[in-house]
Amino acid sequence: MKTLLKPADISMNADCLCPIEPGELAPLPPPYEDFNESIPTPLKPEKIKNIEASLDDTVAIGIPKPASREEEEALVRQFLSGLKKLFEKENNWTFLQPLTLSMEHCARCQTCSDACPAYEMSGRQEIYRPIFRSEVLRRIYKKYLRAGGKITARLTGDIDLNWTTIARLAELSYRCTLCRRCATVCPIGVDNGLITHEIRKLFSQEMGIAPKEIHDRGTLQHLKVGSTTGMTPAAAKDCAEFIQEEMEEITGYKVDIPWDVEGADILLLHNAGEMLAWPENVGAFAIIFQAAGLSWTMSSEAAGYDAVNYGLWYDDVQFARVAVKHADIARRLKVEKIVIGECGHAHKALTVIADRLLTGDLNVPRESALVTLESIVRSGRLKFDPRKNDFPVTLHDPCNVVRAMGIVEPQRRILRKIAPRFREMTPHGVENYCCGGGSGFAIMSGYNFTDWRNLVSSRKKFMQILNAFENERQDTPKYVCAPCSNCKGTIRDLIHYYDAEERSRLYYGGLVELMVNALDGMKKSMIRFGEKPSWE
Amino acid sequence: MIPVRFMGFYIFTYICVAVFLLAVVYRIYRQLRFPLHVRWEIYPVRHEKAARSAYGGSYMEETDWWKFPYETSSANELKYMAPEILLLRGLRKENKRLWLISFPFHLGLYLMLATVVLLLMDTALTLWAPSLSAEGGMLRIGLGGVTVACGWIGLVAGLAGSLGLLYRRLSDREFRLYATPADYFNIVLIMAFFLCAVLAAAFADPSFDAARAYLAGLLTAGTFAPGYEPGQSIPGAATILLASLLAAYIPLTHMSHMFMKYFLYHQVKWDDRPSSPGNAIETAVSKNLNYRPNWSAKHIGADGDKSWKEIASSTPKDTK
Repeated sequence: MKTLLKPADISMNADCLCPIEPGELAPLPPPYEDFNESIPTPLKPEKIKNIEASLDDTVAIGIPKPASREEEEALVRQFLSGLKKLFEKENNWTFLQPLTLSMEHCARCQTCSDACPAYEMSGRQEIYRPIFRSEVLRRIYKKYLRAGGKITARLTGDIDLNWTTIARLAELSYRCTLCRRCATVCPIGVDNGLITHEIRKLFSQEMGIAPKEIHDRGTLQHLKVGSTTGMTPAAAKDCAEFIQEEMEEITGYKVDIPWDVEGADILLLHNAGEMLAWPENVGAFAIIFQAAGLSWTMSSEAAGYDAVNYGLWYDDVQFARVAVKHADIARRLKVEKIVIGECGHAHKALTVIADRLLTGDLNVPRESALVTLESIVRSGRLKFDPRKNDFPVTLHDPCNVVRAMGIVEPQRRILRKIAPRFREMTPHGVENYCCGGGSGFAIMSGYNFTDWRNLVSSRKKFMQILNAFENERQDTPKYVCAPCSNCKGTIRDLIHYYDAEERSRLYYGGLVELMVNALDGMKKSMIRFGEKPSWE
Repeated sequence: MIPVRFMGFYIFTYICVAVFLLAVVYRIYRQLRFPLHVRWEIYPVRHEKAARSAYGGSYMEETDWWKFPYETSSANELKYMAPEILLLRGLRKENKRLWLISFPFHLGLYLMLATVVLLLMDTALTLWAPSLSAEGGMLRIGLGGVTVACGWIGLVAGLAGSLGLLYRRLSDREFRLYATPADYFNIVLIMAFFLCAVLAAAFADPSFDAARAYLAGLLTAGTFAPGYEPGQSIPGAATILLASLLAAYIPLTHMSHMFMKYFLYHQVKWDDRPSSPGNAIETAVSKNLNYRPNWSAKHIGADGDKSWKEIASSTPKDTK
């Protein structure tokens, strides 16, 4: 029996606070029982010799260990300074009120726990419980920043603050996908996802600590080079040329991706990862938009061809910089609106969060591509033959599109029209489960983090997908429609990790690919199960 | 006139009521003073119009949504909020086991509040409109009956609920791990109030006449006769002290969620108001962008002089 961990135990002196033991994870159904004893690949001692890895045998950030006692103390002081800034309007006007409300009103009723897929699937490891990290932050705040806190801590919950506490808290803030399912079920309205988001901000904005994939190779590269993929403007255009050729091969007519068209109605913003990993998605958008006769353009300006905004997950300042770049490009192109492609976090970032950042002529209207696509289908301008999509299809709801924006039905109305064997997952819509790759997890792959994602945070989604197709024959190809790049990447990794193409004939893709697949007049099918696309 | 030796009770209650009012006003004032935050709504947003409110959709499901006026439905919101406040619908759906004890606990508190309001109404009528509340009259009998029903149901429910919550906190591992001494104190304090009130009502004041008299004394600064003399039963005196203390204490703790839930829902969870040129949101955002942060990480490039607007328009020079 494992020791029962309390929030104060985070400062405990131990090589590993909460390792995941074989057999502890929630069991998978057949034919995946052989994964039930799996745990993340053990970290090699020489690889973690100089970094903090004492939380759960998994590493997401890789924080260097302080070299001396003085350095440790300086880092603790820096942490407290950042924590104080989270509660100042000059530094944190963006989230001050929501954070204060969530910090002050939790009744610790544990209703949120059952809503959290990471906690449930981990076999209920205490440290992944939604309120564990919130309670740690709450106790530190009350004890070290409130007047008389050190005296009242015995009543309100004690905790020791040392470098171990801080390093573990930093890692722990990257064991939550910020799906905010916990916030939906909280009877009071407390948001543990938000508290996690604020912890990440504190580390990044005050201490310069964040996973390399979302900071160095993420927002910094985005702002300097033009894309988090490292793709320059010239490379983006080359990529699009290749996509045009491929699409011509498939559709039989010339597809033209327009660049930098001033005065176009729509600036289409794709996640640049689509161009590299799923070029068919970018091509499918071009086909549909061109066939529907829309006036649209893409931008070849740095950052203008990459809709992502990783700042959403960890840093308000980086978030603001990227959002301003996107809006400024749209403003200078004089488009009527920005349409955001199949990228969930880009939806929320630019449409919802940036809404209270962009003022004046930077406030260019923004719309979800799912809405634009539905209006095309509804208009009757294009003819679809649903028989071409005669295979089982289920829909994954990206949290940022559905729970964070309330865009629930447009994608379903499209699927009902073009996919006769569409079925829902349980639960779905605003009650969906995260793919497990939310808040940056889809692109974080350092150390053994990919294992943790596949085994823990994505496990619930994998079970949901299997459940949606449980009445289908094993050898029937099945399509998981995931209209979000990060979700798609996560589901791709899941299928690969669990060998699910072989065992269950699971395939995945976006929504617009299904539309093109059903479109009248295509020379070949866009969706060809089991065939490697030409770009791989 | 109340004897001087009992005036301490009245003074204590006055102080507690004053603390209650100050704490509530401060908490609300503080919320109103916060700068406008970025949107962080979560769907379903219950004031959405038409069918969308049922499945959690938003106005952003419409093509060119910004071309239409922003409209909300108070009826949809009320349809959700009434059972949420009165029956704790969310908790019932998501955590039925806890609801079975939390609902009677909250019902007890609600009915105690209702009982105080009814007693105050009755007292006010007696004091200032005696012709409307003559002894034996319909109004008096009706009001008295409702007060007794409210009071007794509330006391029994509250006592059962608070005992249940205390037992759960002590016996359930996931509650115990997170419970602080303050949590136990809170629940014991509330339970003690219900227990004393049940004893006082059962053995000395089944119709709440003494409670009514005490409130009349409070309303008239002890000049109302026949005033209740708090010392005449120990449970009665304890009830007065504990009820007063609770009134002062609740708004100082996380239990203020009883009324702060309004802000958690309306100003965060359901705040989907879009910004548009020249509207109040845009004005507030423009003001926020003038704040001067001093975050220390080098990539931020903050020095306490540059505003958010300047920083957001810049490219980071440092990586860390």
